[in-house]
Amino acid sequence: MRSHQGKCGYLRLDGYPSNGLEQVSDSGIDKAFLKDQFPELIDLSDSHHASRSQQGDLLTLIELPQFQSPQQAGLMGMDPRVKNQLEALQLHPDRYLHFGRDPELPNKDTLEFKKLESFSLSLKASVWDPPSLNTLWFELVNGAYGDVYRAKALMNLPDGRSMFFNWIVSQESSQFLPLEEISAPNGRPASLSELVVQGKNLDGLRIQSTIDLCLLNDAVLEMHQMPLRDRQKEAIPST
Amino acid sequence: MNHAIISCLHANLPAAEAVLNDIDRQGIDTITCLGDLVGYGPQPNEVVELIRNRDIATCQGCWDEDIIDGLNACECSYPSQLAERRGHLAHQWTDDQLTDENKSFLASLPTSLRRDRLLFVHGSPNSQHEYLLPDMDAFAALERVETAGADILFCGHTHQPYIRELRDGSIRVRLQNADHDCDQGEELTLPMRKIVNAGSVGEPRHGSTNATYVIHNDATDEIEIKEVPYDVGRTCQAIVEAGLPKVFAWRLSHGFEFAEQAEDASHVCER
Repeated sequence: MRSHQGKCGYLRLDGYPSNGLEQVSDSGIDKAFLKDQFPELIDLSDSHHASRSQQGDLLTLIELPQFQSPQQAGLMGMDPRVKNQLEALQLHPDRYLHFGRDPELPNKDTLEFKKLESFSLSLKASVWDPPSLNTLWFELVNGAYGDVYRAKALMNLPDGRSMFFNWIVSQESSQFLPLEEISAPNGRPASLSELVVQGKNLDGLRIQSTIDLCLLNDAVLEMHQMPLRDRQKEAIPST
Repeated sequence: MNHAIISCLHANLPAAEAVLNDIDRQGIDTITCLGDLVGYGPQPNEVVELIRNRDIATCQGCWDEDIIDGLNACECSYPSQLAERRGHLAHQWTDDQLTDENKSFLASLPTSLRRDRLLFVHGSPNSQHEYLLPDMDAFAALERVETAGADILFCGHTHQPYIRELRDGSIRVRLQNADHDCDQGEELTLPMRKIVNAGSVGEPRHGSTNATYVIHNDATDEIEIKEVPYDVGRTCQAIVEAGLPKVFAWRLSHGFEFAEQAEDASHVCER
């Protein structure tokens, strides 16, 4: 998307449930992250923008949760129901990538999942103690709360920054990317903050109770933010 | 003559017994313990009594100090809010378990032990809470050993065993008076000093679950870091049964190198 000269769009589809497999709800993390990186990103799930899908130079990333491997490689493997959905939007995909099969996406999954569990938690207005967040993430992706196959999050730090955390079991390390937009260090941010974990034998209660130990209360948050505000004031030349 | 140095037992009885058995098998009868007999682990009384019954010379660790001083000793050495809150949970549990007699024993421990040119401390000569990390600035490391008047400083606290040789050290002091023409200087060339970290018996964090300790030969100055396997599963089960945070068992069962560290690891509490 970064190298594309024209406009970029994003569309998230719900996918179609499969029997006996836990479903995934859209946390909005991907959209929020992409919107931060590409402020002009066109959200094609918004009906006001749907007609713009026909613009010739528009590069659209379409995300679709799928619960079973496709029968065939490439576009031929796409679920006909999805094809119909896209055609209604006059979208005709050029490529169809699948985790575990296409070289662009990880393919060395080391855990066998017959039944994927999912845990998600809204962290709206939550702010983390940064070293505690580091520890929680280390413990989470290394299996302290169950076998984690996939974990993704947007987390707020006391200095106003938000970080995108991304982990997949077949990768050697996590991806930590700062968002471009930085909130003023003045209380709790309003931006999306969410954690989503997929795996097996996940202990959601213990994840939640560990997170509770990591989040800053109002008094500690103010202790972090007050010096930042003071420094900002000093940096503004008086008239 | 060989003597053994053990540290950071952290109420892990199977690990403490395995290490002492290993030392006994080698016929070593001089053992020095660098403290932290309690904290995180499920058998604080048993480990304190093991050390007391064997009459092992021991100096006080940061956990031993905190359990006596009610966490007033130094709360600012926790590297994160999560570590602090978990530490408080473990502290409260340990405080509830420890007998008065064992608390008195911990209170009676000295902060350092000295044998000729060998100095034994938990963290550093400055504080039980100070971390002497293997990559600490060489000048600061040399300063710790030299001001303590030791040739070899034995410490623990980091849970990562190492031997650090400080060669060709010199400390140069130049005093500049208001009258800039009158400089006074002195340079002191120091012989080699060593910092030896014994790692941890009860909570290893060196990339393996094995307990570690050190053997030093005081005639040849040869130093060997020893690793001892023990029944980690037994300790993990005891942690869970005691109602301590399960993550303590998880951490122990993996022996990760990962350890939270304060932003300034050599921070010394001035309270």
